[in-house]
Amino acid sequence: MATAEGSRIKKYGAVYLALLVITALQFFIGYQNIEGSSLAVRMLTFAVIDTILVVLFLMNLGFEKRLFVKFIVLFMLFVLATMNYIWTDSFRLLLFRLTGFSPS
Amino acid sequence: MSEAHLTMGAHTAGPMEAPPFAMLSKKLAMWLFIMADVMTFAACVAAYAFLRNATPDWPRPFHSVTNVAIMTLVMIASSATMLVAFSAAKTGDKAGAFRWMMITAAAGALFTLLHIRDWMGMMSQGVSMLQNPWGTAAFGAAFYSITGFSLLHISVGTVALFVVAIRYQGGRYNADDIEIVNLFWQFVGLVWLFIVPVVYLMNLAR
Repeated sequence: MATAEGSRIKKYGAVYLALLVITALQFFIGYQNIEGSSLAVRMLTFAVIDTILVVLFLMNLGFEKRLFVKFIVLFMLFVLATMNYIWTDSFRLLLFRLTGFSPS
Repeated sequence: MSEAHLTMGAHTAGPMEAPPFAMLSKKLAMWLFIMADVMTFAACVAAYAFLRNATPDWPRPFHSVTNVAIMTLVMIASSATMLVAFSAAKTGDKAGAFRWMMITAAAGALFTLLHIRDWMGMMSQGVSMLQNPWGTAAFGAAFYSITGFSLLHISVGTVALFVVAIRYQGGRYNADDIEIVNLFWQFVGLVWLFIVPVVYLMNLAR
């Protein structure tokens, strides 16, 4: 039984190690003098890699039917993409606050 | 026997419809729940990002994230132990599955305690939903909302892990139920991996 458990732990060790390394990199980048959008892009890139690893291997989506994978991925990407409509209004508010204008 | 009974009996004896995507209904239900939860979390993160981007004096209060690093380590470790539990359940190793699920649940409880400790640290610095000592009042509301929603999921998940483990040990649940709780646990772990950079690492004090 101990051998079977050992092999199971080894099987997912690589994914676990990758998650640890990516998270450590995120903490390392957080302490660097990187600001604004370049910091956000780096952090989110690593978070997306984390997501792919977790969803494919830890949630076993990679072993499901291809149609189901398409359903999940396309639906999620559509929702996440449409949420980006917030940015134009966010920058508009920032501009108003920085320049002293108030929205009429 | 009435005609209605005969008709119903004939109906239920007919062929069952194949499950959608050739998976168990409860597993599909969990995936649909996760999809809905992704949208809720995405809305929270989008609202947080909106506020942070639109506010020039957004506070950067985190001088040290040691506690958050430990929490993250615990969460990643618990994802691995949960996976080992599921793997053990699939191979019929009931004792191993129970043991690893209890370890995962203990990690979830530890994470919850560390999270509460993190919140108490923020509260002791004067951060509430309505005010904070550093800048815009929206920071406290955004911080507690997004981390609180995650904490709620993790604490509920911890209770679910204990319950499923005990019922699995007692023979009421099987490996399918462990797979479903594994899906939820991996999802809450993944959400935490998004919250750490967005809420903590991008707001480190300079």
